[in-house]
Amino acid sequence: DGLKRSLGDLRRQLAWVERLDVTLGPVAAAADGASHSPGEGHSASHKEAVDPENDFQREMSFYRQAQAAVLEALPRLHKLQVPTRRPDDYFAEMAKSDQQMQKIRQKLKSKQEAMEKTEKAKQLRALRKYGKKVQTEILQKRQKEKKSMLNAVKKYQKGLSDKLDFLDEGQTSSQGNKKGSGSQRVKKGPNAKRRYKNQKFGFGGKKKGSKWNTKESFNDVSSFKGKVAHNKGPRKAGKKALNKRPGKRARQKMKSRAR
Amino acid sequence: ADTKMDRKDKLFVINEVCEIKNCNKCIFFEAKKKQDLYMWLSNAPQGPSAKFLVQNIHTLAELKMTGNCLRGSRPLLSFDPTFDKEPHYALLKELFIQIFSTPQYHPKSQPFVDHVFTFTVTDKRIWFRNYQIIEEDASLVEIGPRFVLNLIKIFQGSFGGPTLYENPYYQSPNTHRRLIRLSVAAKFREKQQVKEAQKIKKNESRMLVKDDFTETVFETPAEEKPVEVQLVKPEPKATVKDKRKPRKTQRKKQKKLFR
Repeated sequence: DGLKRSLGDLRRQLAWVERLDVTLGPVAAAADGASHSPGEGHSASHKEAVDPENDFQREMSFYRQAQAAVLEALPRLHKLQVPTRRPDDYFAEMAKSDQQMQKIRQKLKSKQEAMEKTEKAKQLRALRKYGKKVQTEILQKRQKEKKSMLNAVKKYQKGLSDKLDFLDEGQTSSQGNKKGSGSQRVKKGPNAKRRYKNQKFGFGGKKKGSKWNTKESFNDVSSFKGKVAHNKGPRKAGKKALNKRPGKRARQKMKSRAR
Repeated sequence: ADTKMDRKDKLFVINEVCEIKNCNKCIFFEAKKKQDLYMWLSNAPQGPSAKFLVQNIHTLAELKMTGNCLRGSRPLLSFDPTFDKEPHYALLKELFIQIFSTPQYHPKSQPFVDHVFTFTVTDKRIWFRNYQIIEEDASLVEIGPRFVLNLIKIFQGSFGGPTLYENPYYQSPNTHRRLIRLSVAAKFREKQQVKEAQKIKKNESRMLVKDDFTETVFETPAEEKPVEVQLVKPEPKATVKDKRKPRKTQRKKQKKLFR
């Protein structure tokens, strides 16, 4: 009660405009009080206990309290015709000197620039990576095209296809497809055996090691025709006069008997 | 010349200084040990006064606080609702209002209201912030400075007199530092003790087991052999050749053939 007495002594009844104080919770719900007493807002909604250790939360609560106060006080000030906005041509001494404000502005600018630089560097790196990828793809495509072109040329040289479509292939591939089978195909051409060998070993001469027997090719007996091998199948339209030449031993015997 | 205060003077000389300068409110800063800052807020002639410990000080020179305001402009004061709940807080609030607000037509003041002081009670301390009002919709930027006031005592008179209130949660900085040192020392001592206890345990744990005679019943020591000392070199043994085993060269030949 000593406190209360002292407070009573200390208190002065002054118009609010002299004191400009607002008591409000950070939640911006403001209930206005009497005109004498400071704008007492009861924080109707319970404030969650702000953890003082959590810096961000704490500062946000202070900020919101200030905001609530401002939102409540400004209309009252306007009613009382107290100016709150400084006109643009009003120059007066500020709390912080111009030098200080320059320093602050410099710092902000440098921070922003640093951030932009890192952003740009990151973008450049990504772009370079992408560009490299695209370049390798293009090179591979070119090599593939070259290979197919050469093959087509060799095919034509071997007489397998007498269309000269491959010359136009690069430019108008879709049109070439439409023209398609203009001239009739020579069905036979080389032998089946020859065709198989061409397909397996391709054009363009010797390729190292392409004629080795692999396990699969060795075990592959699909091209074995028993009747042909044992000379048992039906002779197709009597081929050559069958030269049944006797074997070596039989020939030697004949020779010795004849002698 | 300025009226100066000597280090040896008691605090009540400040009242005389105030009277000379025609002030009835006073803020007095006292720095001790170049480490701790104390602040007195007082109503000069006869009113109450309060002593605080100031902590977490950030001055106007901080570059992170980018706001600015007119020098001498009137502040808007914003208080936490907690200030109305306790009598000592109410007294402090009245003191803050009377000290920090500027009367309306003061000759040295600027007529605009463009910044807000916030006083918030968190963690049993009073936090102070200063914000610049940018827009009418209450967007704020911090100007600074910012500090935390830890109430120590409230006195009935100015810079002295009977104590009206003493903060039970206040811990002087000396005791705080002492506690820290003690805790560190205690930790170290505990570690030492644990080590010693471990040592003692290690030495004790060797239990003496009684000799069990049933284990040694069947042990018969070996008969002692006479020690023979050889003085003459023994005769070389006659080697018997194995005639079935082929000679070395033969063996080598056989090996080669096997391969």
